[in-house]
Amino acid sequence: MKLIFSYIRRHKKSFFTALLFLGIETLADLLQPTFMAYIVDNGVQQKDVGQILGYGLIMLFIAAMGALGAVTRNIYATRTSQQISMEMRSDIYDKVLGLSFENIDRLAPASIITRITNDVTQIQNFINGIMRIMLKAPITCIGAIALIIWQTPQQIPMMIVILCISFCLIGANMWIGYAKFGRLQKCLDRLNTVSREFLSSIRVVKAFGGQEQEAEKFGEAAGAFARAGVSATRVSAVFSPLINLTVNAGIVVLLWLSQNQDSGEIGRLMASVNYMTQVLFSLGMVSNILNTAVRAVASSGRVEEVLREVPAQQDGEQIGDAVTGQEEGKQGHMGAEVRFEDVTFSYAGAAEPAVTGISFQALPGETLGIIGPTGCGKTTLVNLIPRFYDVQQGRILVDGMDVKDRNMASLRQKIGVAPQKALLFTGTIAENLRWGCEDASLEELRRAAKIACADDFVTGFPDGYETMLGQGGVNLSGGQKQRLSLARALLKKPEVLILDDCTSALDAVTEAAVLEGLRENAADMTVLIISQRISTVMRADRILCLEDGQIRGFGTHQELMEHCGVYQAIYASQIGGEQVG
Amino acid sequence: MNRGMPVVKPKNMKNTLLRLLELTKGQRRGLGWIMLLSVCTSFSAVLSPYIIGQIVNRVETGDIITRLILLLVAIYLSDWLVRFLQHFFMASIGQRMILHIRNTLFTKMKELPLAFFDTRRHGELMSRLTNDIDNISSTISDSLSQLMTYFCTIIGVLVIMLRLSPGLTCVAFVSVGLIFLLTKTVTTHTRKYFAAQQAALGVLNGQVEESISGLSMVKAFGREERLRSRFHENNAKLCEVATKAQIWSGYLMPIMNVINNLNYVMIAVISGVMAAKGLIGVGLISSFLLYSKQFSRPFVDIANIYNNFQTAVAGAERVFEILDEATEPEDVPGALELKEPRGEVVFEHVVFGYDPEKPVLRDVSIKIEAGMKVAVVGSTGAGKTTFINLLTRFYDVNDGRILLDGRDLREYKMADLRDAFGVVLQDTSLFGTSIRDNLCYGREEATEEQMIKAAKTAGADGFIRRLPQGYDTVLQQGGAQLSQGERQLLTIARAVLTDAPILILDEATSSVDTVTEQRIRRAMLEITKGRTSIIIAHRLSTIRDSDLILLMEAGQIVEKGNHEQLMALNGRYAAMYRTQTG
Repeated sequence: MKLIFSYIRRHKKSFFTALLFLGIETLADLLQPTFMAYIVDNGVQQKDVGQILGYGLIMLFIAAMGALGAVTRNIYATRTSQQISMEMRSDIYDKVLGLSFENIDRLAPASIITRITNDVTQIQNFINGIMRIMLKAPITCIGAIALIIWQTPQQIPMMIVILCISFCLIGANMWIGYAKFGRLQKCLDRLNTVSREFLSSIRVVKAFGGQEQEAEKFGEAAGAFARAGVSATRVSAVFSPLINLTVNAGIVVLLWLSQNQDSGEIGRLMASVNYMTQVLFSLGMVSNILNTAVRAVASSGRVEEVLREVPAQQDGEQIGDAVTGQEEGKQGHMGAEVRFEDVTFSYAGAAEPAVTGISFQALPGETLGIIGPTGCGKTTLVNLIPRFYDVQQGRILVDGMDVKDRNMASLRQKIGVAPQKALLFTGTIAENLRWGCEDASLEELRRAAKIACADDFVTGFPDGYETMLGQGGVNLSGGQKQRLSLARALLKKPEVLILDDCTSALDAVTEAAVLEGLRENAADMTVLIISQRISTVMRADRILCLEDGQIRGFGTHQELMEHCGVYQAIYASQIGGEQVG
Repeated sequence: MNRGMPVVKPKNMKNTLLRLLELTKGQRRGLGWIMLLSVCTSFSAVLSPYIIGQIVNRVETGDIITRLILLLVAIYLSDWLVRFLQHFFMASIGQRMILHIRNTLFTKMKELPLAFFDTRRHGELMSRLTNDIDNISSTISDSLSQLMTYFCTIIGVLVIMLRLSPGLTCVAFVSVGLIFLLTKTVTTHTRKYFAAQQAALGVLNGQVEESISGLSMVKAFGREERLRSRFHENNAKLCEVATKAQIWSGYLMPIMNVINNLNYVMIAVISGVMAAKGLIGVGLISSFLLYSKQFSRPFVDIANIYNNFQTAVAGAERVFEILDEATEPEDVPGALELKEPRGEVVFEHVVFGYDPEKPVLRDVSIKIEAGMKVAVVGSTGAGKTTFINLLTRFYDVNDGRILLDGRDLREYKMADLRDAFGVVLQDTSLFGTSIRDNLCYGREEATEEQMIKAAKTAGADGFIRRLPQGYDTVLQQGGAQLSQGERQLLTIARAVLTDAPILILDEATSSVDTVTEQRIRRAMLEITKGRTSIIIAHRLSTIRDSDLILLMEAGQIVEKGNHEQLMALNGRYAAMYRTQTG
C-alpha cells in the first residue's frame, strides 16, 4: 500500500485536480434529485409549464456541469493512473535489468513478466477506482447517516450496530480475499512459466511428441488458475450480499419501529428509509473498491518484492574509470591483462565449488586457450571476468584492478563475449551487430562480419544486413548464429575478448578461417578462447587445462603435451586416434 | 484523433461475439440458472420499493403491518440468497468458460507448425494466453448476468409505461435513440484503442521476456540503456492508447446522464402541457416520470456493458487470430501406421526453402539403407539441419519426396512418424522439472533401470549422481545450473531412452569434451547396432567410421562415400579432414 501511495504522491497535482472535479460531479449528482422533485412538486402539480421549463433548465445546467466535472475528472484520473502504471512498469523493468542472475533465478522470469504487466494493471485499476469514488462514497454515506440520525435520533444505536456489522463484513472480506488474490497471482505465474517453457522448447516438444504432455501441464496450470479465480471471486460472492442484507435489515427495523410512532413522523420515516438505501448504495461502492484494493495490495506486494530486491553485486567504489575506459578504447584498443588469484567460486545452492583455487595470468595481447572435460568449470571461469557472478574467494584483476572495485559498466565495456549459446534478438542483423557499437557504420559492420566469416552468408540474404531475425535468431543455422554473435563481440573492439566455445557449430574450414581472421585482426586484444577442439586451442600462446574445477596444466601446447595427462588424453582422442596411436 | 496512431482495423464485433458464443458451446451449463436468478433479482428490485410504499401507507393510516413486514423480510432474505447463489455460481461458470477458451487456444498452439513460432516473440504469445483471455474473462463474468437483469427491468417498466401513456412512452424513446447514437460513436473509438492497447501490451510482454532470456548478453554488451529507452518507448505507447481508450469510455456515462435529464425535462414539459389542457392527470405524470427514470437507467448500464465488451472483443480477436492459423497438415485420410520401421530412408529430388523463393536444399537425392550409420558434414548453412527438419517433418518439402521404408513420409501418421525418430537437436531445451522427468520426456512409462541405463550410455550418469539430489534435482530455467556440455549429455540420454528405430544426432556433442564423446560413441554404436543413425558433426574425427558420409555444400550433396573413399577422392572432405587434424 505504501508503494502505491508513494507513486500517487508524485502525481499529487493531477490526483487532487481529479478529486476537485470529482467534487463537482458529486455535488451535481446530489443536487439533481432535488430539482427533479421541484419539477414534480412545483411544476407538474401546479400544471405550470413555465415553472417546469425553468427548473428543467436549471436541472439541465446542473447535469451539464456534472457531466463536465465527470469528463474532466475522468481525463485527469485516467492520465494519472495510466501515468503511474507506466512509471511502475518502467521502474520494475529498470530494476530487473540491473539485477544479477541469482536475483532473476530467485524471482523466476515468468513471474517477473506477470508482475510487470498483470500486477501493475491491478494496481492501476485500484488507483483509477479511488479517484472515481473516493469522495462520492464517503460523502453519500456520511451525509445519509447524518441525515438519518438527525431525522430520527432514536435510531443511533441501530445505525451503530449496522455500521459495525457492515465494516466487520468488509474487513473479513478483505482479510480472506487478500490471501486468495495473492494465490491467484501465483497461479498466473505458473501459467506463464508453463507457456514460456513450451514456447522455448517447441522443437523438443514436437520431436518427442510431447504435445499431449504439454497440453496436460498447461491444462493443470490453467485449471489451478481458474480454481484460484473462482475461490477469489467467491469471497465477494459471499460477503457482498451479506452487506446488502445487513442494510436491508436496518430498513426493516426502521419500519418495524415506526408502528408505534404517530403519523406526523411519516415524512421522516420515508426520508430515513430513502437515506438507508443511499447508505446501502455507498457501502456497496466501498466494498467494491475495497475488493480492487485487496487485489492491488496483493499485487503491490509482488511489485515491491522486485523493487526491493538488492542486486547481488554492487558497483565498485572507483566510478571514475568509466571515462578513461572509453578513452583507452579509442586509442587503438590495447589488450588488458587478466589475472586470477586463487579464485574459488560455487553457485548458490551447489554442494561443491565450480572452480577451486584458480590462479593464472593472461598478458596483454596474449591468446589463452582453455580446454577441459565437460562440466569442468570453463564457462564459469570466464563468466567471472565480466562479473556475471562474484567470486567467493581470491580475486580477479583486469588491467591490474580488482573487478569488484571497478565500475560495472566500464568493466563490461572492456570485455567482449561470444557465448556458447549465441543469443540473438528480434530485429535486423545490423541491429543485432550494432549491440557491440551503436554508431558503427556499415563498413565497420562488414569488417567485423568478415573476420567472423559472416559477411558472405549475410550478403547472400536478399535483405542483407537488414534481414529480420526472429527471437533468438531462429531463422539462422547454429553456425550462422555463432558467427554473428562473434562479429557482434568483435565490433565492440574490446580489450579482452572471451570466446566461449563459440565456434562449436562451425565446420573445420570455416573455423580455421575465423581463427586466422582473429589472429590477424585482434592481435592486440587479450583473447580467452574456450574450445573442445584441440586444433582450436593448439595455436594459442598458452593453454589452460582444467579438470573438476581445478587447473591441471598451464603452458604452451608443447609443454602440456609433455607434462599434462589430461591434455594428452584429449589430444589422443582427437588427433592421436588413428594417426598417432 | 488518429494522427500518429497505428491503424487498427476495427473488426466485426458481432461476428467475434458470435464466435465466442460458438466457442463456449457445451461449456455454458448452468448459465440458464444464472439467467433465471437474474430475473429473480430484478423482481425483488421492483417488489421491495412497492412493499415499502405499502407499509408506509399503512403506518400512516395506523393499520397493522406485521404481515407486510414479514413479507419484506422474506423478500430481503430471498434476495440475499439469490444474489449469493448468482455470484457464487457465476464465478465458476465464467471461469469454466475461460478455462475452456484458454485450453482451446493452447491445444491449437501446440499443433501449429514451427514456422509460426519462429516468427513470433514468446512473450507476445504468452500475453495472448494470459492477458487477452483475462480480458474476455472479466467481461463474461461481470456482464452476462447483469445484462439479463437489465433486459427484464426494461421490459417490465416498458409494459407499465405503455399502460400509463403510450404517447409519453414515445417521447421516452427519443432518449433511447440518442443513447444508441452516443454509444456507437464512443465504442467505435474505444474498440480501436482497446485493440491497440492489447497489441501494445503484447509487444511489451515480448520485450520483457526477450530481455530476461538474453540478460547475460544485455549485460555483457552494456545494452541496459538502449533496452530501457526502447522499453520506455513501448511503455509510453501502451500508456497513450490505454489512456485514450479509458478517456473515450469515460465520456459515455456523463453524457448519458445529460441525455437522461434532457429526456426527463422533455417528458415533464410535454406532460405539463398535456395536463394543462386536461388530457392527463397529474398523478399519472409523477408516476410516469418515476418510471421513465427507471426505464432509461438500464439502457445506460447496457451501454456501459457494451463498451466493456470492446475490451473482450479486442482480446478475443487476438485469440481468434491464432485459432485461425493453419495447423501442421493433418494426417491424410487412412494414414499408415508406422510400427517398428526398418529405417530405410530415401530422398528423391527434394527441394525446400523456408521461404520457397530461397531454396535451402536444391534437388537432394540420396538413399540410406536400413541400419546404415550416416554422417552429414558440410560448412555451416549448407542445409544439414534442414535435412533433419524435413526428415522429422518439422517442415514439408516443396518439391520431390522423402520415403521411409518405401512410403512417402506424408502418408504416415504424424505421431507414429515422430515416434520413429530419437532426436538430439542442436537446441538443448530442458524443462524446469526434475532430471528424471526430463529424461523420461515423451516416454513416461520408462522404468528406473531403463532411465539409468540411458543416462549411462550418454555419459550423464556420473555428473547427475554428483548433483545434490541426483536424478531428482529440479532444473532451473532450461537447466541454467548445468554446463552446456552437461545439457547436451542429458538431451542425448533423453533420445537414447526413446529407443527409437532411427537415431538422429544434430551436433549433439559439440560442447562435450572429446574423451566423453568417444565414450558416448562407443556406447551408441552398441545401441544403434542394426538401427539407422544420422549424425551431423563438425569434428570429423568422430564420424570417420560411418558407413556413409554425405558432404553438403550450398544445399546439395557434393561428395558421398565412406571415409576412405572420400579421402581417396581427395576433394573437399579430404581438405577439411586435414585442416582439423592439423
